[in-house]
Amino acid sequence: MDFTFTEDQLAFREAISRFLMTEAPPELLRDIWDTEEGRSPELRAKISEQGLTALSVPEAQGGLGMGDITWALLTQELGYYAIPDSLADTAFVATGLLSALPEGTRMREELLSRIAEGSVRIAVGHSVNPLVADVHLADVVLQEHQGEVHALCRDNIGFERNPSIDSSRRLSRISFEPSDATRLVGSEQGRAVWAQTLNRGALAVAGQSLGLAQRMLDLSVDYVTQRKQFGKPIGSFQAVKHKLADVASKIEFAKPVLYHAAHALAHGDAQANLNVSHAKLACCEAAWLAARNGIQVHGAMGYTWEVDLQMFMKRAWALDSAWGDRAFHNSRVAETLLADTAQIGPSFTFGALQND
Amino acid sequence: MKLTFTVEDEAFRAEIAQWLRTNLTGEFAALKFRGGPGDEHMFTAERQRWEKRLAAGGWTGIGWPLKHGGRGCSIEQQVIFHEEYARAGAPGRVGHIGEGLVGPTLIAFADPEQQAKYLPAILAGTDLWCQGYSEPGAGSDLANVKTRARRENADNTWRINGQKVWTSLAHESDWCFVLARTDSESVGHKGLGFFLVSMHQPGVTVRPIEQLTGTSEFNEVFFDDAVAADLIGEPGDGWKIAMALLGFERGVSTLGQQMQFQNELDEIVRIAKSNGAARDPLLRQRIAEAHIGLRLMRYNAMRMLSHTSTESGPEALVYKLHWSSWHRNLGALAMDVLGPEAEILESGPYNLTRLQSLFLFTRSDTIYGGTSQIQRNIIAERGLGMPKEAKGNLR
Repeated sequence: MDFTFTEDQLAFREAISRFLMTEAPPELLRDIWDTEEGRSPELRAKISEQGLTALSVPEAQGGLGMGDITWALLTQELGYYAIPDSLADTAFVATGLLSALPEGTRMREELLSRIAEGSVRIAVGHSVNPLVADVHLADVVLQEHQGEVHALCRDNIGFERNPSIDSSRRLSRISFEPSDATRLVGSEQGRAVWAQTLNRGALAVAGQSLGLAQRMLDLSVDYVTQRKQFGKPIGSFQAVKHKLADVASKIEFAKPVLYHAAHALAHGDAQANLNVSHAKLACCEAAWLAARNGIQVHGAMGYTWEVDLQMFMKRAWALDSAWGDRAFHNSRVAETLLADTAQIGPSFTFGALQND
Repeated sequence: MKLTFTVEDEAFRAEIAQWLRTNLTGEFAALKFRGGPGDEHMFTAERQRWEKRLAAGGWTGIGWPLKHGGRGCSIEQQVIFHEEYARAGAPGRVGHIGEGLVGPTLIAFADPEQQAKYLPAILAGTDLWCQGYSEPGAGSDLANVKTRARRENADNTWRINGQKVWTSLAHESDWCFVLARTDSESVGHKGLGFFLVSMHQPGVTVRPIEQLTGTSEFNEVFFDDAVAADLIGEPGDGWKIAMALLGFERGVSTLGQQMQFQNELDEIVRIAKSNGAARDPLLRQRIAEAHIGLRLMRYNAMRMLSHTSTESGPEALVYKLHWSSWHRNLGALAMDVLGPEAEILESGPYNLTRLQSLFLFTRSDTIYGGTSQIQRNIIAERGLGMPKEAKGNLR
């Protein structure tokens, strides 16, 4: 049992974190809100240059061949800096989906290469999400239809934009006509791919939520250290500091859950559904508490448009129901545990004896 | 103990319900369910006309004594009024600060001349008021007021200098009551005065604060040698009067607030039934808990209002903590019942749906009017007699 990461993985995370800190400050994100498309091609290009889009593309297609476990770290950075691109959809979720298709599937290699070089935007449409993120700029939408995988180009779809409570999110309701020409694989192969894709989408949200939680905690710690009332920094009052200690506990207990889920997904573990749903619930719960306690300790300042806390709170609230809301993931946990064939009991929860 | 209303009370209920049916029509019909907390910036001109309509019907200051132009209604009748008002969906009152806070305070502390000067215009719905308490450095620590009041030797008038913040409806108001330091050497709750200041003068500047909802209900207010029209009580009485005023805030209007909460819960239940969320066992449970919490709130408020003496009981201390936490949870429940649709705006660029407004606004419930942390301190210190937390000396 080893929950540590390799030096390469940690170095990559560190580099991305430093890069996003300087290249994607909150003021820039606010400027991007006000643009028609809500996205910055410059920022996207810079992110690709850092190797983020190539991260999990197979080496044969020019990628770095890293996978779910590294993404468990990087999605946290995307959340921490509230990156407006639904970058994870292209670089992580779509890449995983395409990689899982049989080699030689039409468009597979071409799209993977283009993802690696950062020259394509791919949106992913799954029935668990009523709306699809970033369709308005997508070159290709990978769309679920009755278990089949369809690749839709701009000519194949109609879409209607729906503004979100989070000014960074650009969501659309899409309409399309599935045909032989758009189908990449049929439902027989497609269902397993979509099951895995749903898990990857949920894992991406879990990682981002955890990063958001950490950012809100850091902002709040800063604020309560500076803000003074009754002649003291308010962070010296137990009523205030305990609020943030609770958030820290939630975050620390969510981390191994996220990492375990990434590991399960990377290794095709039979319990992956359970692990991913658990991670989504634990990480979103941490983000929720960080938002709730974060605004509480900010007092009225946290309720203003001007203070950056709102950017991270709104992302956390919006992501809470993306790639399966709480009811969805709770019921997946319940179904797994209550199934007649459920793998429960000491030898599954704890280590099994060698000679079992 | 008597948990029902008398025949006379029920006749009163029929009267106000009928009046609202007749009057909340025409140009006022569009105001139904508008202008409440989170929506206070909307339809202010129309709501000012509505305030005058209420006044013309004799429905302002109903709890004020007859000799001050009020209606002298019993507590039960005031409860009934607020219930029917909320049931009809009548709009948020632009005059509520004048009627609910300023009026009772002036009746208790002002001299007859001052009462005659201000009370009639509140009753008539012509003068609107805002509250000048909080400052950038005086939030939870309200006594840390820095705004100064200086007496001019020439004509004995008071001049106000300083800044107030989170001032609701300041941009619509004619008057502000201001807590300011009359003794520049003083600290804390000593040396304060309670002033009435006209908002229509060059020394007063109002700047709206944008909320995370994208709208502005409250403001920063700057006083730059502004003239105070009146000082209530003596210099140094400010804290006593300011605290008494906050006591009036926990009044019967909370009953109307609960009716609004009931409307919100009903809307959430309706959506849960129609979109299938009601089949989710966890959401069902939370809906049931919301119902129970609201009943508790109502019983507690009725018990609170049953106190005949001016001393309020322990139930008054716990009330804000309960309703604000309950309402905050209701906002979250609304979003969870909507599921993935919850984040979709009514329209761009940033028009919120009613339930989104509810959700976002309720993030502030546990903050404004005394945070939950301050409420717990009050319960512990005032209710349980526990020692006070030590204050620091960083000012």
